[in-house]
Amino acid sequence: MPRPWKTTFGLTALVSLAFVLATLVIGLLAYALTHEAMEVQLDHRTATETSALLERAGAGGTPALAELIHQRDAGHSTASLGYILVDPQGRRLAGALDAQIPAKAGYFELLHYGKDGAIAQALITDLPDGSRLLVAADRTVIDEMDITILKLFSASFAAMLLLAVGGAWTVGAVTRSRLRRFDDAAQAIIGGDLTQRMPLDGSDNEFDGVAKSLNHMLDRNAALVENLRQVSSDVAHDLRTPLTRLNNRLDEALAFSGDKRTRAIEAAIAESHELLEVFSAILRISEIEAGTLKRDFQELALGDLVEDVVETYAPDFELSGHALHSTIHMGLRIRGDARLLSQLITNLLDNALRHTPAGTTVALNLTASEAFVILEVCDDGPGVPATERDRLFSRFTRTEASRTTDGHGLGLALVSAVAQIHGGCATVLDKPGFAVEVRLAR
Amino acid sequence: MHILIIEDDGETREFLSRGLKEVGHAVTLVEEGREGLFQATDSNYDAIIVDRMLPGLDGLSLLKMLRATGDLTPVLMLTAIGRIADRVEGLEAGADDYLVKPFAFSELLARLNALGRRQAPQVEQSRLTVGDIDIDFHRRTVHRGGKKVILQPREFSLLAELMRNSHRVVTRTMLLERVWDFDFEPKTNIVETHLSRLRSKLNAGFDVDAIETVRGAGYMIRSN
Repeated sequence: MPRPWKTTFGLTALVSLAFVLATLVIGLLAYALTHEAMEVQLDHRTATETSALLERAGAGGTPALAELIHQRDAGHSTASLGYILVDPQGRRLAGALDAQIPAKAGYFELLHYGKDGAIAQALITDLPDGSRLLVAADRTVIDEMDITILKLFSASFAAMLLLAVGGAWTVGAVTRSRLRRFDDAAQAIIGGDLTQRMPLDGSDNEFDGVAKSLNHMLDRNAALVENLRQVSSDVAHDLRTPLTRLNNRLDEALAFSGDKRTRAIEAAIAESHELLEVFSAILRISEIEAGTLKRDFQELALGDLVEDVVETYAPDFELSGHALHSTIHMGLRIRGDARLLSQLITNLLDNALRHTPAGTTVALNLTASEAFVILEVCDDGPGVPATERDRLFSRFTRTEASRTTDGHGLGLALVSAVAQIHGGCATVLDKPGFAVEVRLAR
Repeated sequence: MHILIIEDDGETREFLSRGLKEVGHAVTLVEEGREGLFQATDSNYDAIIVDRMLPGLDGLSLLKMLRATGDLTPVLMLTAIGRIADRVEGLEAGADDYLVKPFAFSELLARLNALGRRQAPQVEQSRLTVGDIDIDFHRRTVHRGGKKVILQPREFSLLAELMRNSHRVVTRTMLLERVWDFDFEPKTNIVETHLSRLRSKLNAGFDVDAIETVRGAGYMIRSN
């Protein structure tokens, strides 16, 4: 069951009709009031004329009155007024008005007179001697006024009606055409063209506002879809190699015996371990990105935490011939997840350790600005080409130089995710060597 | 030990049952959550291994209900590749330990053994002696064969963890969790590096390695 007020056209039409009806009511009211006022005015005129006649006749009585009426009729001085004067027996004494005098005294609204059905408004007065006086005023002026008013209102009513229907149709048509373009765009997107966007006409009106919001939403979704697509293809690509290796190892294990078989099986276990690590790293990153872990944030002393990790890594740096210098601003407290932050620092130090040659100096600085705690880990190693820096925080990014070392390119993606859930961000600084700056909200 | 295994995946159940019987444990197998809760409250087990996802009644609810009855049987919870939140929820529900599938059997065994120990009321001793090593937790001092050994705080924590679990294998993951509070595996061999430092300090002047490496499983303090 279609409900007309649910469509733009229907709604506009209804509102316009309400206006038209209101106009009609106002028109009728104005007509009635004008009509009434004019009738009152005619009554007033007959009353004034009656009392003028009676006053002028004065003591002269009925004969004087008759004389006066004769004069009035003859003089045509009062063109729209007519008179009848009859004696007590009803015989006409004076007055040229071609009508019957009503039996009752007082105001009489519709007095037919003449032959062509003209109508007058009359005042009948019973005189003291029993004779009766009728003064009538022609109603033509009222009728003319009525007709004029009615014509005026009919015309304006018709115009209003036309405007209302036309307006409703136009508004409806404009809305529908705009919405149809939105719908076309949406259908195209449903059809698979994800680059399609809602059309803007540059007018900055409500439609453009909605279109802009929708386009923002579509951009955001497109970015997510693109990210997902990227991850899926990366996962497929990055897992193919270890899966193939795992397969080969197991084939070897079948073919070999004794020690060689054991070694092949151990290698297969190592491969599967690697695969599981990739999986759990991916899941971990998406769990961090989902942001729900924020619930369990606690206040912690970041300086102590950083120092703990640095201390943990010191022996390994020493063993591999790297130098690790740290400057830690103690007493910085933030709300966060200690394990995630440990992993963030661990990943940065792991990277520094594994991707730089012996003899490299790695510096870790923990400082703070007004709004952020700033952790910088930089080294004077070979660094990363500027062209590759932008991609570093995406999943599965491995620089050309690091292809040979193990790792699955998820370390910095996790760093970025952890920084973001802590209200900050991770960036590669434009410095010689390699430098990452992590900002965490204080 | 008599161990109750509540696990709906047949293969995992068999894998656990075979392995645990092989090392001399008695095993009861249950596939479904409600039946598992019934078994857990009805009989007396030394430890319970429960999967998080179960038909009938999930592992978390089962555990909460079990703990609500005042039952303190050690529980090891298993889960498919774990979310960080899973672990917290499991431990909050009353699990004593938590293991992510797939796991090495040696890891499960090491954790199960550690759980069995906890069941006995344990007074935190201020001093422990295992073999020729003495550790004083209050003074934070270590002696081997009466000779003082100077350790870094981290090395001390490592040794303490091994000493508390003498006669038992402690895995690399357990050390990461308990000594470093890391729930992830760093790329760098920090556990090995720190253990090797601890070893060289403990072994200086001695012929016998104080820490035994159990291949493919973990580490153990030498007690003889």
